[in-house]
Amino acid sequence: MNDIPGLVFDFLLAVILLRVAWRLLSSSDLFRAVVLFIAFGLLLAIAWVRLDAPDVALAEAAIGAGVTGALLLIALARMAEIRHSATELAERLAVLRRGRFRITIRPVLLILVTILGVMLLSTLLVMQPGEGLQPAVAERLGESGVDHPVTAVLLNFRAWDTLLELSVLLLAVLGVWSLRRHAPLPVRAVPGPVMPGMVRLLLPVAVVIGFYLLWLGAHAPGGAFQAGAIFGAAGVLWILSRPRDLPIPPAAVVRLGVSAGVLLFFAIGVAGLLGGFGYLGYPPPWSGMLILVIEVTATLSIGLTLVALFLGGAPRGEPSGDHNGRLS
Amino acid sequence: MIDAATIVLVTIGLAFFIAGTIGLLRFPDVYTRLHALTKADNLGLGLIVIGLAPQADSIAAVFKLLLIWFLVLVAGAAACHLVAQRAWHRGKS
Repeated sequence: MNDIPGLVFDFLLAVILLRVAWRLLSSSDLFRAVVLFIAFGLLLAIAWVRLDAPDVALAEAAIGAGVTGALLLIALARMAEIRHSATELAERLAVLRRGRFRITIRPVLLILVTILGVMLLSTLLVMQPGEGLQPAVAERLGESGVDHPVTAVLLNFRAWDTLLELSVLLLAVLGVWSLRRHAPLPVRAVPGPVMPGMVRLLLPVAVVIGFYLLWLGAHAPGGAFQAGAIFGAAGVLWILSRPRDLPIPPAAVVRLGVSAGVLLFFAIGVAGLLGGFGYLGYPPPWSGMLILVIEVTATLSIGLTLVALFLGGAPRGEPSGDHNGRLS
Repeated sequence: MIDAATIVLVTIGLAFFIAGTIGLLRFPDVYTRLHALTKADNLGLGLIVIGLAPQADSIAAVFKLLLIWFLVLVAGAAACHLVAQRAWHRGKS
């Protein structure tokens, strides 16, 4: 209890987080809700920093606030096209909220929140702070191939979890592609020199920073997800600067690029199994190199995945469907 | 001595941010609000970066801070221009 300014800051941050979350959930204007969501992502990134988790903070700021914000905005724009007005959808949602559910839900919610709060508080007061897994990881850090404990855990000790995370991203893209819509981006090209000039300046910087974060992951907060998010954001920026004439590569290249991360990771895992090191076990002198190879492919895959999620349409050359989903 | 300079510069930067926030909340239309916001971005962040530079561990960290400020300048200026252009084309006077 001797870090009073930190405590005050944390308390204010928690209150602001709850307030912003409430405002964005109860907002009747969807655009305002999306903007508040982006702000919420940034505040959450600060909360992660306060919890001594800079890797998660980087990922939250890049993916949670940045790319997800762009995805929500483009979804809002597409909904506005389909329904002629996003406010009409918001009005429908508001009617649903003001229906008969509103009277009975509030006391129930209050009771549930109180019970949960009491349980959390009692656990916090009773629990002893343990030493966690840091000593165990520090003990085996030398044979993991990297210097940073978070990267060692993500890509060596618990590589299975990271492989599953990459598979989840791949599944998301497959889900989006299975809808087989080819609606063009509801974005007009921006006249004037500012947008192309900014993109010309920011894209090379983004690429360099992405590779820097990827390289840094070996001995400092960084890594594949954060770098992939920066590449995805750069791709989205590039697309937005020229929404009509997109140089889309052929479908086979896009499919390979999106699945390369998962496939390579899985292949290395099986190779480890066949080589006698166990599934996803690396031969110790090669750990660093294998981790780097996995991270590079994962970064490129993640960047391509995020851009594909933003674009939404199936890869060019695929049969497209009409609004009922039937193949044309 | 260095800590005092940091505190002074960061406080002045915070004052710019407060002014920008008040401007965002109180100004009547898009263009004046953009004006207030970009002042907070450029000058406020610049003063905070300059105030934090002496506290950095190495010259590389100082350059990273300056790079962050430069990127925020570019992104803020471009975003301000694009928002204002969009508002202008939509006919807001």
